[in-house]
Amino acid sequence: MSNLLSTGLELLTQGSAIADPISLALRDTAPVAIVWMAIPFFVGFSSYLLPKLHRYLALGIALMSLVYGLQQLWAPVPLTVQLLDQFGVTLLIDSLSGYFIVTNALVTAAVVLYCWQTGKSAFFYTQMMILHGSLNAVFICADFISLYVALEVIGIASFLLIAYPRTNRSIWVALRYLFVSNTAMLFYLMGALLVYQASHTFAFTGLQNAPTEAIALIMVGLLTKGGIFVSGLWLPLTHSEAETPVSALLSGIVVKAGVFPLVRCALIVDNLGPLLGIFSVGTALLGVAYAVVETDTKRLLALSTISQLGFVLVAPAMAGFYALTHGLAKTALFLISGNLPSRSFQTLRQTPLYAPLWAALAIACLSVTGFPLLAGFGAKVLTLKDLEPWQAIALNLAAVGTVIALAKFLFLPVATQSKDAAPHTMPQGFWWAMILLLGSLVAANGLYLEVYTVTEMLKALLILGVGCLVHIVLVQRVVLKLPRMFERLDHLIGMMSLTLTALFWMVLT
Amino acid sequence: MSLLEACVFATVLCGFFGIILKKNLMMKIISMDVMSTGVIAYYVLIAARGGLLTPIASDAQSGSYADPVPQAVILTAIVIGFSIQALMLVGVMKLARDNPTLESSEIEKNNTP
Repeated sequence: MSNLLSTGLELLTQGSAIADPISLALRDTAPVAIVWMAIPFFVGFSSYLLPKLHRYLALGIALMSLVYGLQQLWAPVPLTVQLLDQFGVTLLIDSLSGYFIVTNALVTAAVVLYCWQTGKSAFFYTQMMILHGSLNAVFICADFISLYVALEVIGIASFLLIAYPRTNRSIWVALRYLFVSNTAMLFYLMGALLVYQASHTFAFTGLQNAPTEAIALIMVGLLTKGGIFVSGLWLPLTHSEAETPVSALLSGIVVKAGVFPLVRCALIVDNLGPLLGIFSVGTALLGVAYAVVETDTKRLLALSTISQLGFVLVAPAMAGFYALTHGLAKTALFLISGNLPSRSFQTLRQTPLYAPLWAALAIACLSVTGFPLLAGFGAKVLTLKDLEPWQAIALNLAAVGTVIALAKFLFLPVATQSKDAAPHTMPQGFWWAMILLLGSLVAANGLYLEVYTVTEMLKALLILGVGCLVHIVLVQRVVLKLPRMFERLDHLIGMMSLTLTALFWMVLT
Repeated sequence: MSLLEACVFATVLCGFFGIILKKNLMMKIISMDVMSTGVIAYYVLIAARGGLLTPIASDAQSGSYADPVPQAVILTAIVIGFSIQALMLVGVMKLARDNPTLESSEIEKNNTP
């Protein structure tokens, strides 16, 4: 991060020396972007000096990003910043970044609210702020080296957050995460060098005339980091074994740091689209196939994340909106599932839930399945609109699968009276987080009102109906256990080499 | 030059297969370091394609300079790799208290639900 910062400061001091008209127009906005990007790091580290304020500082930073992100959604022209010359840091901020920044802001704010009364130490909030800042950096950068630095900082901050309880299991899960992500990033680094060798720049645009092996190496790194298809099999254990607020952060926004650069590159480089199309359909179906037979709540949610990332990736132009709706709903789901009486569906079916808790659960589930009135509906319609026929069929199938999997939550028993319900002692901030997340899910509908047509609504209801029917007829009765062998560390690393080979072969043909 | 390149790739592959095949967690981390050494060497090698002289502006001698950009970039990557290495070693230290043999398959079995 330090090189990014120093070049930023350099630009601030030299800003007045720039004379050409484009730079003149940017002079006001570029430093704002850089200062905005840098503040979470400064505040994060200095929050140690102000131990009473760390929660307020974390919330303040999230709100600042929210304002900045919303501004970018309606910005007329994308902002491009080139620090130094072609070798330097390149930033690109447009509405796509805006959506991801807003997601990041809302998810972080919700998690801070959730943790408000749980007595987390200043260390936890510091890591959260650093994570927030580096995620913002990913969403605005447009060159491979800034991206590398930001992704590695994300890896370190996530490691520390996962290992926060200091138990053996949490340390092992965190270590495994860092192992996989660091190995992937080494491949990525080699790919970045090959891009530089071909076009003497690290900017994303250099990928256009990069050799095929560069594309394969960079993609294996980003696919692994983003938890997509078989290289994403590290994700279920990591996301399900982390603490509730951390798994909400990981599933809500951190995996999107791997997906965003893929989306950005797909928009810049034409021949990347078909390749990513195959991977996104693969991950959508793989995740859903595992999720349908899963019997553990948090693992089911993590597997559904793998599948939903396919939807984000399949239509790069609409990725921002889908990521926003998925991030909000999945964060809410993880926060709720951390407060259910048990993690096993078998036990949950015997304990009636507290009605408001079930209502929140149902709203978040329905948004992921694409139910009208919630933003998930618009995102799904827009994503599935301009796809190749085979992709559309596969993804509709995955949508039905999502309903089948999440119907396990929808069909949980509800207590009619509060005293019959299972004990429900949520952290005080829980409902504030829910209001923020679910409220934003409803409000986000306003961004794309034109998707509400009769055919689309009927289609969404049909998918929901079919999914629920299959759930009642089949899934509730049949118990199937898929092997978890592929989630072992050696297999995860080995899978990376297989993905790399497959990518080489796919890029060459 | 191509011999050097072959050596670099051999280092990367050695490290990569070490991560998969070594049973001890400590050895896995060292293998990862070997792999990152390979990647760093590759950066230096590519930087030296154009020339071998140190890219420092002075009036002493002129000739074909090595490309400074990959070297500058890899410096960041070295620092990051170093800190990640340190972080992982601390994690392993903590794990070693209850799993003194540090066999990754054993640790995995004990800590996976």
